[in-house]
Amino acid sequence: MAAPVAPYPRPVTPTERPNIPSAAVRLPAVKTYEQIDDEIAGTLRPTLGWFALLAMAMLCMLAGAATWTYQIHEGLGAAGYQPPVMWGVYIITFVFWIGIGHAGTLISAILYLFRAGFRTSIYRCAEIMTVFAVMTAGLFPVLHLGRPWKFFYLIPYPNWRLIWPNPKSPLVWDVFAILTYLTISSTFLYIGLIPDIAVLRDREKNPLRKAIYSTLSLGWRNSDREWRHFARAYLFLAALSTPLVLSVHSVVSFDFAMALTPGWHTTIFPPYFVAGAIFSGLGMVFTIVIPIRKFFGLQHYVTLNDLDAAAKMCLFTSTVVGLAYLTEFQVAWMSGNQFEQEYFWNRVFGQWAWAAWIMLICNVVLPLSLWSQSLRRNPLWLWILSLFINLGMWFERFVIIVPSLSHEFEPWQWGTYRPTWVDFGILLGSFGWFFMWFLLLIKQLPVMAISEIKEVIPPRLKQPYDMEHDLAEGIPMPDETGAQH
Amino acid sequence: MQGVLGAFRELDSAVHAIEELRQQRFGDITVFTPTPRHEFDHVLAHPPSKVRIFTLIFGLAGVTFGFWIPVWISDYWPLVVGGKPIASWVPFTILGFEVMVLIGGLATVFAMFGLSRIPRLTTTVGYDARFSGGDFGIWVRTSPERAENVIKVLTKHGAAEVRREA
Repeated sequence: MAAPVAPYPRPVTPTERPNIPSAAVRLPAVKTYEQIDDEIAGTLRPTLGWFALLAMAMLCMLAGAATWTYQIHEGLGAAGYQPPVMWGVYIITFVFWIGIGHAGTLISAILYLFRAGFRTSIYRCAEIMTVFAVMTAGLFPVLHLGRPWKFFYLIPYPNWRLIWPNPKSPLVWDVFAILTYLTISSTFLYIGLIPDIAVLRDREKNPLRKAIYSTLSLGWRNSDREWRHFARAYLFLAALSTPLVLSVHSVVSFDFAMALTPGWHTTIFPPYFVAGAIFSGLGMVFTIVIPIRKFFGLQHYVTLNDLDAAAKMCLFTSTVVGLAYLTEFQVAWMSGNQFEQEYFWNRVFGQWAWAAWIMLICNVVLPLSLWSQSLRRNPLWLWILSLFINLGMWFERFVIIVPSLSHEFEPWQWGTYRPTWVDFGILLGSFGWFFMWFLLLIKQLPVMAISEIKEVIPPRLKQPYDMEHDLAEGIPMPDETGAQH
Repeated sequence: MQGVLGAFRELDSAVHAIEELRQQRFGDITVFTPTPRHEFDHVLAHPPSKVRIFTLIFGLAGVTFGFWIPVWISDYWPLVVGGKPIASWVPFTILGFEVMVLIGGLATVFAMFGLSRIPRLTTTVGYDARFSGGDFGIWVRTSPERAENVIKVLTKHGAAEVRREA
């Protein structure tokens, strides 16, 4: 005979344990499965504000596309490249967007493996953000090419040229890492969406939309067979994605660390880049999730406890990034290498001091405010801080790339860098491109994982669980997995 | 496909109904639930999913292929640099790892599709739209002679609706 049913423990009110997220108090204002369906599916109705934002994003995207067309016509000289700085805004922005793309898989995969409950209500947004951020990042190496239509030369395939890319080059590693990351993160997003699309399919009245949802949901029926294989596949995808997240930004850091340039040739780069990527990704998660939470009326799904927990992660990664900055200085100081020392001095007190101090203030000083619990639980402050983090992390990549290239070994090589309107036009276009896709998707598919949110609220029971009675009778308590002890 | 479909509003009622159906040796039971519930896993006692076997096999195939690509390229188009090995395995680990994740991950998903028998063209028989909403469903595939027993069990345990399907 099968084991007896172990109902969930009696829900307690949030006031009993205000700052400790647990299964029992995770979403106290969410009572039934139907409420979840109604409220989350209700966010799919377009609003005037959404149309306005979409129009703005498309305008920015079109401005970027027009600028790129101009650059293709004029050549790469239209951007601000001048020897010795031949990597500029495009590569900075490439690393920036790749970094943004890290938080999604961190939140959906790594926190899933660690069973961190606060991920449940924010991971869908973070995954959508990841896919479009990596898609945006993937444009930049192409934008950076003099002949962008030859981008496929980096892909190893049998060809009439009888030439192959060099597999010892970090640029080829990048191609493999980013394409793998884009494929796996898109797959991860889609797999998680299948049960939710089935919910939309079953609620939809419009025949066209119903047909689209039916196709996308692949005929999902919520059967025990489907859930059993789904759960296992999701776990393995999470397990494969976890080292993938760490590898992708490590590979991006090799683009720099494999070179002999002062400031780049250092073994700290992979962990430093990964921590920075997660930090910047969390910043962008706040930038996106907090307005969604407010304007979609989902405050009772993304609770202050969830924001608090995410803010703690943000604080932690900020301190790791800060430690990495200090370690770089210490290594330069202790190395006895004059070129390294010169470079780092120049970074903070020389030509590029303004950029380095923007980076330090935004990424290390301002996030210290998150030691305060009241600020961690203040959505407005978190949103403002997230804008500073985005700015700071863009400048971090600026500080890594431009000062190193402009201040290499010999004084006669030293130079400067001035981005042109073309660089900024394409930077603006990348934000337009990213937000256009993001805004389009959030009105077609749920921004929160309906089936996972249902998993964390107590199910409807015929015989409500009487904890006091069971304790008096000596009946064992179920834990969060349902096992009785 | 003949059988009986029961819809339950409460989780514990559905679980108790399945327990009794299993006691009466009804083997072909499908449960529909809006979200995965461990209670159903316990009562149905299915073996673990075989998805992991596909992940392992295709992951190993992926890492082999991922190493083979750069080794073959290096051999075909050798870059001779200062006596260093033509096929140096250390940098090729990156490609090996990435291709392992790519092929292992995609194989996991396709294995999940195959084992779950999706994509499916129709959801009509033995399914009701409310099972993606808030209700739990039990579909018992059985002959018409035994269908009455199933209906009795489902009704006894408080099914909100019971219907025969063919």
